[in-house]
This record gives sequence, C-alpha cells and structure tokens, in this order.
Amino acid sequence: MIRLVFVHLKYELLALLRMPGFLIPSFVFPGMFFLMFAAPYLKTPETALKTTTSFMAFAFFTVVFFQYGVGLSQERENPWVPYLRTLPLPAGVRPAAYLLAGLLFALAAALLVAAVAGLATPFHLPAGRWPTLLAALVLGAVPHGLMGLSLAYLTRPRAALALANLIFLPLSYLGGLWMPPELLPGWARAISPWLPTRHWAELVWAASEALPWPAASLLALLGYAVFFALIATWAWRRGTG
Amino acid sequence: MFPAEAKEIWKTYGKIQALKGVSLRVSSGEVLALLGPNGAGKTTLVRVLVGLLSPDRGEARLFGGDPRCWRSRRFLGVTPQETGFPPTLRVREVVDLVRAHYPKPAARDHLLEQFGLAAKAGRMTSALSGGERRRLSVLLAFAGNPNLVVLDEPTTGLDVEGRHTLWQAIRTFRDEGKAVLLTTHYLEEAEALADRVAILHQGRLLIEGTPEAIKARVGLKQVSFFAPGLPELSHAVRIERVGDRFVLYTSDADRLVVELMEKRVAFRELEVRPLRLEEAFLALTRGEA
Repeated sequence: MIRLVFVHLKYELLALLRMPGFLIPSFVFPGMFFLMFAAPYLKTPETALKTTTSFMAFAFFTVVFFQYGVGLSQERENPWVPYLRTLPLPAGVRPAAYLLAGLLFALAAALLVAAVAGLATPFHLPAGRWPTLLAALVLGAVPHGLMGLSLAYLTRPRAALALANLIFLPLSYLGGLWMPPELLPGWARAISPWLPTRHWAELVWAASEALPWPAASLLALLGYAVFFALIATWAWRRGTG
Repeated sequence: MFPAEAKEIWKTYGKIQALKGVSLRVSSGEVLALLGPNGAGKTTLVRVLVGLLSPDRGEARLFGGDPRCWRSRRFLGVTPQETGFPPTLRVREVVDLVRAHYPKPAARDHLLEQFGLAAKAGRMTSALSGGERRRLSVLLAFAGNPNLVVLDEPTTGLDVEGRHTLWQAIRTFRDEGKAVLLTTHYLEEAEALADRVAILHQGRLLIEGTPEAIKARVGLKQVSFFAPGLPELSHAVRIERVGDRFVLYTSDADRLVVELMEKRVAFRELEVRPLRLEEAFLALTRGEA
C-alpha cells in the first residue's frame, strides 16, 4: 500500500517534470513575479518578511489550485484513469500520491520564492519559525485544494482553465497575497476579510512572526474546507453513475 | 471457483437496458469470445466483470470475489484504450508502473520482446505510432502475469504481424491453463481462437457453446451454385444472389437439392457446406434459426 503510493508518486512527479506547460507557470512564475513586482520595494526586514511569506502562500495556491482544478478536470476525460481502476490498486493510493506530488511541488515553488527573497531583499526568517510557517502553508492549502477539486468536478475541462484564472487572480490580489491589505483600495479592503486567501495569509503572517494563530482565521479556513469538501463530493457523485 | 462469473446481471443506463439478466462463466484453460452487434451489451458486461461498473441487479465474481474490490483483481489483466497513456512517460516506465501493482509480474524485457516493443522501450508513449500503441495496450494486459486476461477488441488496429503475435500469445496463455475473455467484431478471430463463443444480442445471451455447437445449433447448411434463374423453392430459408451465383440457406440440404432437380434448375458447380461462424452469427441475430 505505502510502496504503491511511492510508485505512483514517482511516476506522477516524472510525468509532471517533463511537462513545461505545467512546470513553468506553477513553479517559476511566483518566484519571478516576486522578483519583478515585489522585491524592489522591500527595503526593511519587516516588509520583506510579510511580503515574502505572502508570496510563498501565493506559490502554494498556484500549485494546489491549478493542479487540482485544471489538472484533475483534464484527467477526468482521460481513458487511462478507468484503466487504472482495473488494476489491483487500493482506492486511496492515487489520491494520496496526487496529494503528495502537489505538496512537493508547492513546497518547491514556495522555497524558490524564499530563495529569491534571501538574495534580493533583507528577508530573514529564524530557523525555529520555518516549521510553523510550513504548517500554516500546508493547512491553508487544504481548503484551496478542495476549491480546485470542486471546480474540476463542476466544469468541463475547457472551461476549467479560464474559470480557474478568473477565480485565482482576484482571490490572490484581494486576499493580500501580492501586497499587504493595507495598501489595497477601499472597496478591495472591504471584501478582503471574507476571502479564504486572506485567512490563509493571516495564518502565514502570524507564523512568520511567531505570534499565536488567529482563531477567527482558523475557523474560517475550516469552514471553507468543509464547504468545498461538500461541493466537491456532491459534484463528484453527480458525475459518476 | 471460476476466473470470472456473471450471475443474472441487469444494468440500465438512463432509459437504455444494456443488460437483461446475463449469466456467463469463464473457466480456466479456455478462450471465451464474446460476440454481438454494436450495442449488444458486450462492453457493459466486460465493464461489470472487471469492476468498473456496478450491476443494478445480479452479481459479478472475479476469482470468487467482488471485482470492485482491488484484491479480487490481483490476477486480472485488462487492455487500456491506447489513446490514454500518460504522454510524458516512456514505454518502459508505463510497463513498470503497471507491473508494480501485481504480486508476481512478468519480466519487463521479456514482455517488450514478446510484443515487438524492445526497440521502443525508451520512447515517450506520445511518440508511438498507432500500431505500437495498440501493441503496448495488449502488452499491459499480460504485464501482471495474470490468470485471466480481458481483451476488448484486441486486434482492431493491429497489423498482420501484430495480430499473429497476439494470437500466439493468447494460445500459449490458454495452454498454461489460464483464461481469456475477448470481445471481437472479427468472427474469423473467434473461430480461430475461441474454445467457446457467447453471443449477446440486445442485452441478452442469445446462445453459448463451442463454435461447432453454435453452427450445429443454427442447423443451417449453405448450398451454392451457378444458374440462370430460380423458381419458387420451399426448402430454402434465405436466398442470396450475386450475378449468376446463388447462395441458399437451408435446414435440409438433401431435400433442397432434390427439389432443385425436380424443378429442373440448370445448376453448375453445386457446393454444400456447413455454415461459417459468421453466417451462423448473422442467422442468429436475424432470428432465422
């Protein structure tokens, strides 16, 4: 069972690594955007810390949302998937491998942002805060991955990519993943506190400053996770007969 | 315990009744060919037997277990659709990925050799030709060293050599005491390979038996000759004509020939022979038998 998870993980990673169309947008873009649009303005350790960790969440968001949203919706029409279901393959193995592959890629993309920040800005995160920061990133990834999954099951593959962008870009901007929410225009600041991305960012900021995690954001993320899990399950059931 | 068994399977898609109470057994050491016109329910029955679909009523068994449980599928090999291989994996990697699921898989290099893909082992699946994809798909059914292979239209898209290789692989496999379930449109293939044939028609099992038994069961003989024309005949159930050549189907060839002589038909090159499976199949699905 565990051995099979690693077999599937290995081939999933191998297949993804050979797909530049996936690799470059999800892995390289967050670090590149950070370097171009954020790094030049980050002069103090405080602003560097906040914006770098926000972009790390953005990197996670890109991978989990697009891999689950777009990737999975395309996989649904692929006859390889029903074939795999005829193999002696326990039901949980592929989702587990898929999940792990997504987390590894998300981690790599986030670490690329941190590496760029280390070189180009006064960013510094004490070693003891890395584990909690990573925990906050992974925790926040759960409702956003489920959001991607809902999108995958609700839409046709062609529509999924366009729709994913339409959801993904405003959520990143309004949630404060690109710039601190204080700098957003008034209308955006009014919407921001309701969005899952904002609550994710709040957790990440708290973790990076070694502050306790805000309970309201934890609750909100849990609520979003339950909500999207229900939608995904409903949409998935609708699609299988 | 049978490698595969269907007990009174019913399955409805929306308003279409795909299967109406089909029972079928695949035994060890036999090749069973599932025949039927398009829409007869062959694919649905296969999908139920390999665990991809749940029947509405009835029960499917694989080696005595529920095919929807992965443990029951440890000795089952199925052909994937050749359009679906992961495009960025190499042939060798796809073979290894599938082999990794089985307790005692076949050796990879032997498989590649056997199905003529040894030279393509390092290719990405997206760079394979249509025929090569087809070979890979058939190879994968044998990769886990299974005791039952289910082949859906296995020779569609294979060249002559590929078909020959596959037929040989199927015979060797059967002779090792293992079971083969294949669906096919080619009656020639069923006649050449199958120990038993089951004909599905409109979701029901029309008939089941050895190719000889089915031909005998239909009970028709084919009488053919050249003649300028024909009078009314009482002993022919069907008459086909191409130019001067007539092909008659009859349940009593002797009396038909006597009738032809009594009615003074000037026939030449008279031939009487049993039906081929194809003709028996057509007669059955047309309801003439």
